[in-house]
Amino acid sequence: MFKIILYILMAEFPVATRVLFEISRILNTGLDMETLSICVRLCEQGINPEALSSVIKELRKATEALKAAENMTG
Amino acid sequence: MAAPLTSPGRRSRFEQEQDRAVRALIRSVTGLPEEELGDGRFQTALNFAWSNFRFHRFLDVNSHKVERTIEGIHEKLVVHSDLRKAASWKRLTEKFLNSPLPSIEETKTDTHYSILSLLLCLSDSPSNTTYVEKPRDKEVEKEEEFDWGKYLMEGEEIYFGPGVDTPDWSGESEEEEDTQPLSREDSGIQVDRTPLEDQDLNKKTVPNASWKVGEPDARSWLEQHVVPQYWTGRAPRFSHSLHLHSNLAAVWDHQLYTSDPLYVPEERTLVTETQVIRETLWLLSGVKKLFIFQLNDGKVAVRNDIIVTHLTHNCLRSVLEQIAAYGQVVFRLQKFIDEVMGHSPESIMHGTVSTPKKTTEAPFRTYQAFMWALYKYFISFKEELTEIEKCIINKDKTVTLSIVIDKLSPRLAQLKVLHKVFSTGVAEVPPDTRNVVRASHLLNTLYKAILEYDSVGEASEQTVSLLFSLWVETVRPYLQTVDEWIVHGNLFDPAKEFIIQRNKNVPVNHRDFWYATYTLYSVSEKTENEEKMSDNASASSGSDQAPSSRQHTMVSFLKPVLKQIIMAGKSMQLLKNLQCKDGTPQQAASRDAERKSLYTLFLESVQSRLRHGEESVSDTITEQQATKQSLIKMQSIAERHLELDDVHDPLLAINFARLYLEQSDFHEKFTGGDVCVDRSSESVTCQTFELTLRSCLYPHIDKQYLECCGNLMQTLKKDYRLVEYLQAMRNFFLLEAGDTMYDFYTSIFDKIREKETWQNVAFLNVQLQEAVGQRYPEDSARLSISFESVDTAKKKLPVHTLDGLTLSYKVPWPVDIVISLECQKIYNQVFLLLLQIKWAKYSLDVLRFDELVCAAESPQIKEGASLEQGMRPPLGPQSESIKQQIHRMFLLRVKLMHFVNSLHNYIMTRILHSTGLEFQHQVEEAKDLDQLIKIHYRYLSTIHDRCLLREKVSFVKEAIMKVLNLVLMFADRWQAGLRAWKMESIEKMESDFKNCHMFLVTVLNKAVCRGSFPHLESLALSLMAGMEQS
Repeated sequence: MFKIILYILMAEFPVATRVLFEISRILNTGLDMETLSICVRLCEQGINPEALSSVIKELRKATEALKAAENMTG
Repeated sequence: MAAPLTSPGRRSRFEQEQDRAVRALIRSVTGLPEEELGDGRFQTALNFAWSNFRFHRFLDVNSHKVERTIEGIHEKLVVHSDLRKAASWKRLTEKFLNSPLPSIEETKTDTHYSILSLLLCLSDSPSNTTYVEKPRDKEVEKEEEFDWGKYLMEGEEIYFGPGVDTPDWSGESEEEEDTQPLSREDSGIQVDRTPLEDQDLNKKTVPNASWKVGEPDARSWLEQHVVPQYWTGRAPRFSHSLHLHSNLAAVWDHQLYTSDPLYVPEERTLVTETQVIRETLWLLSGVKKLFIFQLNDGKVAVRNDIIVTHLTHNCLRSVLEQIAAYGQVVFRLQKFIDEVMGHSPESIMHGTVSTPKKTTEAPFRTYQAFMWALYKYFISFKEELTEIEKCIINKDKTVTLSIVIDKLSPRLAQLKVLHKVFSTGVAEVPPDTRNVVRASHLLNTLYKAILEYDSVGEASEQTVSLLFSLWVETVRPYLQTVDEWIVHGNLFDPAKEFIIQRNKNVPVNHRDFWYATYTLYSVSEKTENEEKMSDNASASSGSDQAPSSRQHTMVSFLKPVLKQIIMAGKSMQLLKNLQCKDGTPQQAASRDAERKSLYTLFLESVQSRLRHGEESVSDTITEQQATKQSLIKMQSIAERHLELDDVHDPLLAINFARLYLEQSDFHEKFTGGDVCVDRSSESVTCQTFELTLRSCLYPHIDKQYLECCGNLMQTLKKDYRLVEYLQAMRNFFLLEAGDTMYDFYTSIFDKIREKETWQNVAFLNVQLQEAVGQRYPEDSARLSISFESVDTAKKKLPVHTLDGLTLSYKVPWPVDIVISLECQKIYNQVFLLLLQIKWAKYSLDVLRFDELVCAAESPQIKEGASLEQGMRPPLGPQSESIKQQIHRMFLLRVKLMHFVNSLHNYIMTRILHSTGLEFQHQVEEAKDLDQLIKIHYRYLSTIHDRCLLREKVSFVKEAIMKVLNLVLMFADRWQAGLRAWKMESIEKMESDFKNCHMFLVTVLNKAVCRGSFPHLESLALSLMAGMEQS
């Protein structure tokens, strides 16, 4: 479903999204198209970008730790 | 699923969306499934996220700070010398800031900056990553091409029908659809692949476009804009007005149907007037495959079953047939252009004008030039047609068939003229005619046409300017040939189209070069061809063609300057050959680079003559000309260097190629511009065409003629001592070097007097060399004398003893062009006459009185009488008679002397000297070699005439010869002594002399009285004086 939303986004606003994705690639943010579009929506809804970035970073860290732990145990 | 902070029921729609987005984020970042509630990880993450979003200590986004950071990153990338990435970064950020967001229309809002700030916060050492924008870019573009709207809508249509505007995106249904986009991509491409045929394309584009455009009236739009296929013969479906006027055809049909019981309505194809107009335009622009106009065996015919609604069939047909005639003209001219260009392979098979053996033959440049002129004309014509067609497409103005024809009428008239010129000048020439005839015939036809239209005056300004531009283009190869010839002395004409041809078998340094090298294809050469042509013409059509073409057998525009051209060309070639030996080709090359060609000069003159407020055009042209000149100069210099060093430098070669390219480009621009000027300025008719030529072309040729002929004369006179040789001829043949020749001939006369053999060639030559060698050592080597014994019948007369003496002078090349062997023959004739007179004079001069007296008295001495000088013979009648005899002989001698001296004076002073002075004067003023040769001949024939050597006055010469003969016999007898004399013989001599004298005096007096020979007056007078005394 999100893919379709993304496609719709892409279809309607190809320029901004495409450009943004390119920027994100240059900055090596590690965001994929889907996540990026969610982030865009959140920013549009007024979420503080720095807070959002710290959340993403934390979540990534936690996920990695979790995965490492699972690997260890598994 | 516990609510994070508030219950879902009370949450606003905004909060719901936010919550959904945050969940999506967590799912996307962590990859945790929401349903997995067991360990509550998702919930924890959600709570964490919400607490961070709500209770953070970050400041709001500062746009300046973000900008600075962006700048910083750009600088960093530049410092890392990752320039491509830096450029992409700058471009992308700017583009992003200037493009709207999904929910925000404005640009450069806080949201933009916050998104960027988010990315910046997340960034992880951008300089260390490799980033290539391009391939990604393309990929993205490809995605963009994909018609998402259509794709998704299509899916919707299947499930919900077209009426649903905003489908309710439920999670489950979309999950199912998720697989489809990948598989459907192929079908999306397939749509583009299928329409290969035209008809299919038409069918398919309609639904496709309607989907794409998304407008409800797209189909009708297409129906309005796509032309129905009237050419397939299907029944047209277009609707037209029901007004009576626009249904004239039907009304008329109905009328016929009702009035004529036998009338059967035919099946006809209904077309619109626009279609007819467009086909007309296409026909005139040279399209061969048309529906309304059909091409069969080179003839354009109108289709019979065409009808428009508002005209009757016959009316339409008559209009279209007119157009078809013009179409055929276009077609013929186009065919000619193709043939000359060598485009159409079938031209060899059935071309009336095709040049056979095209591959081996040199290009026929005159036709090429003519073709080029036609081609240029057609380009402008097609531009005009395209303009009209654009007008039709844009529907800005009303365009009807009659408007189009009206608009094109000047062009159509021009086409008519072009066709006339073409058919007379090119098409009617039989295929096996020589190129020279064809070229001159074409040029003459154009020239004649110009003169014809020119005489009409202002009524045909357009035509004249068109023809003039054609002529100017066509004449180019001719003028180039002329230019090459009169400037470089090189008649370069591979296709043999110039009226003058070089005879290959005569080398330049040959005596006959001046006369036998070139053949002028003039009247006599052409008559047979012309006859052939006229035969053909009379066989095919009316014979009015033949006499007119026969009048202009030569290229008539060159006629007034033909002599100059020939003289200049020959002179130049001779001069080149003479200068070759001197060896200064380098100077010539550099001089040549600065020179303007004859054609250029001609064009410039024409322009300046026609210029009316077109200063700017000509300025640019001269600028171009200057640049071009400098290019040529550089090139020639470089070439010379290459030749000198014998180096093969590829770089130089490339540069040359480039130079050539630029040059040709320039030239094209130049000439293109020029002809435009020609055509636009219709003032060409203000002055008559011949005047234009006279002032624009002939002066240049004349100038060049004067220059090179002057050069040749100068070279001949200065370096090859022409004048000195002419003087030498006079010195030796006409005995102007009196003392030298006196030494020579007296030695011969002495021998003859002493009755010794003198005919020995060795003796003669020794005498000559001795005499000449002292004073003219240079000439002694060239001079020689020979003796041929002539027939004995004449020999009996002593005056003819000298006949057979021939003086010859070896004249070196190139002076022998002027002093030819024929000239030497005439010189020799005069020489012989002079020798005869000199001999007569000499033999009279050397007679001594005492000889005769001694001879008379010698018998008395023998008889023993005392010998005293001056003593009268004592004896009576016999001595009286001897005395009388002696006295009469003295008298006769004096009379004879008077006669011979008069003759001698007349010839030596009155004739040879004065004519020689005139001749010298003329030689100095001679402008060209031909003139010089002519002057020399005239001089020779004058002295020949005045020395009475002409056949016509042979009776006078006979009389003179008789007298001279008498003189010689007299001298001979005198020397033999008085005893050899009888009174009767003296009387006979006296009477003979008297008769001859009388005869001569009468004849000469008559001639003088008639006034036809003023120079004879002195001779007649002096002879008369002799008569009176006697």
